[in-house]
Amino acid sequence: MRSSIFFLASLATLTSAARFLIHIPSNPLVNPSILPSSTHATLQSHGPPITAYLTRSNSFMFQNISAGSYLAMIHCRDYSFEPLRIDVSVEEALEGSGDKREVIRAWQTFLGNEWDNKGELRGEGGNGGVIEARPIDAKYYYQERQGFSPLSFLKNPMILMALFSMVLIFGMPYLMENMDPETRAEFEEMQKKSPLGGGTGNPAQQIQNFDLASWMAGKTDTGSARSRGQSPAPQTKKRG
Amino acid sequence: MRFHAAAVLAVCLAPAFAIFEDDAYHIDFHHPLLGLPKHDGTFFQKPYAASKASLLYALTDDHAIGVINPKDGSLVWRQVPSLGRNGTGLLRAGENQDTVISALGDHVTAWSGSDGRIVWETGIDGATVEDLEILEQEDGISNAEAKDAVILLSNQSVKRLDGKTGRVKWAYQDTRQSCSGDTPFQISTSPMAIFYISLHKSKLRVTSLSPITGKKLDQYTLSAESDIHSPENILFAGANTAAPLLAWIDKSNKVLKVNIIGTKSVSNFDIPAKGTLERITLRASNRINPLVHFLVEYQTTTGHSAEVYHVDPTKHTIIKAYSLPELGSKGTFTTSTSDANVYFTRITAEEVTVVSSVSHEILGRWPIKTSPALAGAYPIHGVSEVVVKAGTASAVRSAILFSNGQWVLIRNGEVVWERPEFLSSAISAVWAELPEEETLAHELEVEGHQNVLAAYVHRVKRHIRDLEYLPTWLQNIPNRILGNLFGKSLDFTIEEIQHDTFGFHKMVILATTNGRLAALDVGSKGKLLWNINLGSYAPETTTPKPFLKAFRGYVEVKDKGLEGTLYINSTTGEILSSQDISHRSLAVPEGQKLISFDLVDGELKGYIGVEFGSESVWTFTPPAGEKIVGYSVRPTKDPVASIGKVLGDRRVLYKYLNPNLVLVTTALESARTASFYLLDSASGEILHAVSHTDVDVSRPIPSTISENWFSYSLTIDSTSTAPSRGYQLVVAELFESPIPDDRGPLGASSNSSTVQPTVANGDVAKPYVLSQTYHIPEEISHMTVTRTKQGITSRELLVTLPFSNSIVGIPRHVIDPRRPIGRDPTSQEASEGLTKYTPFISFDPKWHLNHKYEVRGVKQVITTESGLESTSLVFAYGFDIFGTRVAPSFAFDILGKGFNKVQMLITVAALFAGVLFVAPLVIYFRNNIPYKTARLRHAGWKKANKFTLDNTIIEPVRG
Repeated sequence: MRSSIFFLASLATLTSAARFLIHIPSNPLVNPSILPSSTHATLQSHGPPITAYLTRSNSFMFQNISAGSYLAMIHCRDYSFEPLRIDVSVEEALEGSGDKREVIRAWQTFLGNEWDNKGELRGEGGNGGVIEARPIDAKYYYQERQGFSPLSFLKNPMILMALFSMVLIFGMPYLMENMDPETRAEFEEMQKKSPLGGGTGNPAQQIQNFDLASWMAGKTDTGSARSRGQSPAPQTKKRG
Repeated sequence: MRFHAAAVLAVCLAPAFAIFEDDAYHIDFHHPLLGLPKHDGTFFQKPYAASKASLLYALTDDHAIGVINPKDGSLVWRQVPSLGRNGTGLLRAGENQDTVISALGDHVTAWSGSDGRIVWETGIDGATVEDLEILEQEDGISNAEAKDAVILLSNQSVKRLDGKTGRVKWAYQDTRQSCSGDTPFQISTSPMAIFYISLHKSKLRVTSLSPITGKKLDQYTLSAESDIHSPENILFAGANTAAPLLAWIDKSNKVLKVNIIGTKSVSNFDIPAKGTLERITLRASNRINPLVHFLVEYQTTTGHSAEVYHVDPTKHTIIKAYSLPELGSKGTFTTSTSDANVYFTRITAEEVTVVSSVSHEILGRWPIKTSPALAGAYPIHGVSEVVVKAGTASAVRSAILFSNGQWVLIRNGEVVWERPEFLSSAISAVWAELPEEETLAHELEVEGHQNVLAAYVHRVKRHIRDLEYLPTWLQNIPNRILGNLFGKSLDFTIEEIQHDTFGFHKMVILATTNGRLAALDVGSKGKLLWNINLGSYAPETTTPKPFLKAFRGYVEVKDKGLEGTLYINSTTGEILSSQDISHRSLAVPEGQKLISFDLVDGELKGYIGVEFGSESVWTFTPPAGEKIVGYSVRPTKDPVASIGKVLGDRRVLYKYLNPNLVLVTTALESARTASFYLLDSASGEILHAVSHTDVDVSRPIPSTISENWFSYSLTIDSTSTAPSRGYQLVVAELFESPIPDDRGPLGASSNSSTVQPTVANGDVAKPYVLSQTYHIPEEISHMTVTRTKQGITSRELLVTLPFSNSIVGIPRHVIDPRRPIGRDPTSQEASEGLTKYTPFISFDPKWHLNHKYEVRGVKQVITTESGLESTSLVFAYGFDIFGTRVAPSFAFDILGKGFNKVQMLITVAALFAGVLFVAPLVIYFRNNIPYKTARLRHAGWKKANKFTLDNTIIEPVRG
């Protein structure tokens, strides 16, 4: 007698509680068979969340889940999974039949949005229904250390400038030599006319006479330009 | 899609702060713990039948199931099921099975032996599991495939579960009226029957069941002559032996009574009367094949001895074979089998000896090499594996739990590994300085207090004393340089506490619930420095939740269960009497008063001085119905580098910096409301109050407060009408005034009162609070803030995520409450580093301090400053132990591993070579160019010398 009451009682609890499975299918991003055994899923609604650990068949078993709307999360060390909304309800299979059954529906959900804002359906069914869990991304915990690489070294503008001037320094004489005499004469004529080659002073000297102190002191652009414009000439004269 | 957009945005916002791959596992450490292993739940077992090596399986007092690699002590897998924490825990494995089966409370679970995944799980309604056995043989034939499990439930039913699926094959329940009062005790299996043993008043009722059908075959009661009243009186009920045994001891502790289950005869044996008996244990092999020989171990207050008995399964007789002599020290025995032979291993703190069950001849003896981890401890219980070749034991390895909470593997007398499992019950911890730094600081203080001459003499003496370390220091120089150059410096510096120039070596003193106190060196990968039992200093007291406080050179231990205070030397773990220490009371400057507060009867009360008995100065009583669930205080040492926040337009928002801030959390269960009150602990006034509705108050509501901001986290209740679900993080920042460049009413006034702040100025003196709420993907169980020496480095909010077993550092600027909402930041705001508000913050994997470690069960995270401004030390405890260091604004004051010293040396050498090469060239040009230029121009100077130069540079200097 006692056992039969117990049996009935257990049956009663069974009818109001659903069981379902969240399954991780094999996909190109993750091979679920290599996930660590600490991977687990939680169902949060009210009070302590319900936890289920990963089984050998790459799924999470939930049993005795009472009706309600749950936020399901899968916690894994190596991959992040999309959050799910799982609704468990007791509905009549056919209207008016009085035969009530659990119905489980699962959708994608978006954290930080309205709860009613559901995404794609991820599973639907009665007791023992299967819900699909989709991984989003592999978790990468580490920061790359910027090591020495020749390519990044070459990408540096200062290095590019230095290389360019190197090419000029070492390449120009060759160019000059290989020019035919007429072109060379023309070129030299051009150089005499150009401001760089002319008597206004050469850039090296200009750089030498650059007033670093006043520039550091933060003089305005116009002032420094003026001083830069004026100073070189007298100084070259003095030296000369 | 919106979610992805938000996630992507959040990732873009995150700076590149993370752990470098080459720093991981070097700057941090993790002790994945299990807890103290239970004796009957610990065994060596092959993870699958074809496996060559066996693993060490254990079920612990904390109901964790863990698997250890016996070679190095590393954790293979572990599971800490949250369900079924009540009731007894059991762990069993069948021979040649790839699963282990656990029974915790009302759950029976089969775990994959090699990786810890669930194979099947069965819940039992309305009863807990009392016993679990694996059915090794059925009708004398051992089932090669999944072996079934037999469970005994607290409602007196026996069930056989299918080994593959966990489904119930049959169930037996004794429903007769006469059995209703019985206490179910144990089940025992033999090849022919399953025996269900229950306590019927003071008798033992044994029911034998058919393994195939579950039908009752026979039932009889054994008269125990009022020796047995509760299950604790029974010594042993044999499991899985060819002749299962049932043993108990008479009331006067004189006679050992043994019954072979299935027979009604009871054999009596006298117990050797030597010393006071503390504990008697019967040890028999739980394998099915071997000889039925068992050992009875007698533990007395002074030593231990044992007797070995043989059972004749055909004649059903038990005879005493031999006895092992008493030793005057504590020790234990383990049983192991090899083929059909049974071996007993005797382990004391000094040596390991192996004897065969057949004769008392010693097959092998190994003295245990002393290890600092085992100093003063003795073995409690263990398991062994013995290899016997040609009549002598060639090797033995034993996993032993020692009395100091260390779980140790001893192989042939050598300690192979030790696991500080007692640390899993850590309840409180405190940072302490290393002794070296302490002594130096003390010496300097002494010099400061003396007159000039004495101080000078003292200093010279100190330097002369330091000279004795010079030779070793000099010897180490080449090693250090080489180590530095080739990146091996780390392993080297770990041992050398003296070279702790960066202040990374700090000690953490931990107290555990079982009355132990231990010190770990956080800079040396959590090395255990000492480990003591507080109970030995304060006998007959319990220290369930000690309160620790570190002073210079010693730690103060206070507890409600402890009369007075204990002082422990933080270097050695020795006890100090209160005369030994120069006790400093809390330093209160002249003319000031100390106000302390505490939670008394659900109210927060403030008192003058440290005596709580006196009249309270202020009382904070939460509004009707609300209950204080916690409070957080601004740390006493919380340096702030800047009193204001510089805006993009160079104006300043002044921070509300009050050293006496207390954030009180209250909860109202009926209305599902959580309220937060910001108090001034000097005056007891409420500075700010906020309430949140639709909060699941049954979940943790952690909070923290630092500088001029506080934060807390909530769980949204599902039954509420809240439009969204999940978890929230709220961050609030306090300013003196909402207007930049304004210091509020206190700016102009020359004096103010700490005790009555609002009397003079009214409510304007209260801070201006800016707050923002974010959705977060996970529940937070604890939060704290990083600390640095000067407070210049930006802070980071450290949150503990219990579900993903991690600790995440959220950068402060991500949760800045000034982030513009609904619009993009203006250029001025962008220059402050503010980004557009997003309602959802995802925890970037790069923010995880624990990276690949899984830090389980963290109850608290404590932080402290290091010697470097950029770096804060972090230590987490609760179940696992985890320590690391973080640099929220990058390690700007230390060279990282990315700095290649060899490359730097090569660069310097190359530059030097370049200078050597160029120098003659420069000299050549300086001397020759003025004369040569003209000639070069005409004759083609390229031919005149090897060096080529642009003709624009070679200009005649003298015009």
